[in-house]
Amino acid sequence: MKCKKCGEKASVNMRQHRMALCLDHFIEWIPEQTERFIKKYNMFTREEKILVAVSGGKDSLSLWDILIRLGYKADGLYLGLGINEGIGYSEESHRLTDEFARKNNLRLHVVDIEKEYGHSIPILSQISHRGYGKPCSVCGLSKRHEMNRIARDLGYDVLATGHNLDDEAAVLFGNTLQWEADYLLRQGPVLPGMDGLARKVKPLCRFYEREMTAYAIARRIEYIYEECPFAEGSTQIFYKEALNQLENSRPGVKLTFYLRFLEARRSGDLFVQKEAAQAHLHPCEKCGQPTSAPDLCSFCRMLEKADTTGSS
Amino acid sequence: MPVKLILRNKEYEVKAGMALLDALKKCDIIPESVIATREGELITEDEILKDGEVIKLVAVISGG
Repeated sequence: MKCKKCGEKASVNMRQHRMALCLDHFIEWIPEQTERFIKKYNMFTREEKILVAVSGGKDSLSLWDILIRLGYKADGLYLGLGINEGIGYSEESHRLTDEFARKNNLRLHVVDIEKEYGHSIPILSQISHRGYGKPCSVCGLSKRHEMNRIARDLGYDVLATGHNLDDEAAVLFGNTLQWEADYLLRQGPVLPGMDGLARKVKPLCRFYEREMTAYAIARRIEYIYEECPFAEGSTQIFYKEALNQLENSRPGVKLTFYLRFLEARRSGDLFVQKEAAQAHLHPCEKCGQPTSAPDLCSFCRMLEKADTTGSS
Repeated sequence: MPVKLILRNKEYEVKAGMALLDALKKCDIIPESVIATREGELITEDEILKDGEVIKLVAVISGG
């Protein structure tokens, strides 16, 4: 297989684009495309301060690498979740993130959930009884809450996450299977900022997970290869595998699924937009972040429950 | 000598001389779900596998 740009031996084949590239051209192509998506979806400008949520995984470290290569002002945020499970998962992901930041002379903020709130994610999950015995729901809720809080507290203009197309397609697939109209209306490459909520962007949302893995390998980025011990058997992984089965027979089906959805959502053909979906949001009585609950937001309610249960 | 494919902690053996894509299919591995490397270098699925070599397959799916 030959590189489409130079005719040399190809290193990465992207069947959905009918394009193979050599290592050098692939390493150039990824940031070029990222820049195109940043502009296309009006994610941010070079003057704005970006906070990149980094987990130590291939996507978030690659995103940080790409933004720096493109000349953006991007600092990192690592959230210590306290996931050990006999393999020191959080410790290792922290180490790798720290090493990446140090090697590239980048600024990394580290916030440890246990130090901040008294309990690690697995313990919070146990004592708050959320998530049917798995900490994933508590983990997602806590990450969203903390990323937003820290981005605002530290004065960043925008929060960037490493979600790739497979992440987005899997979420879309799940929400479509259950016709979750509210969630479908909210999904997109940019979640606009509003009172109390930082703007959130996903610059990698049009790259396949396979491409991001290839990029991390090609750039010699050391990332945590081990899966989160709690992710095994998760619905998201099941959906990703199902979509990859489809992709294998119909190259490009994942990309089309996501892009046609974005187009339908943008044009308003797919759904009737509810009037001001966030109109009923108001500040949480404890932390001040926007919530639709009457008094405390889900995160603070969970902490309150954890504190009551944990201390009894 | 057979070719060894390694994916996480699993090992598969296939005959030399076949294309990587055919080897993956033979081992019931979805090509979309892995990236293949030979001595740390990325290779495409049309690559012909050589006698006795070891191909490391990197799983691309992550969740959470």
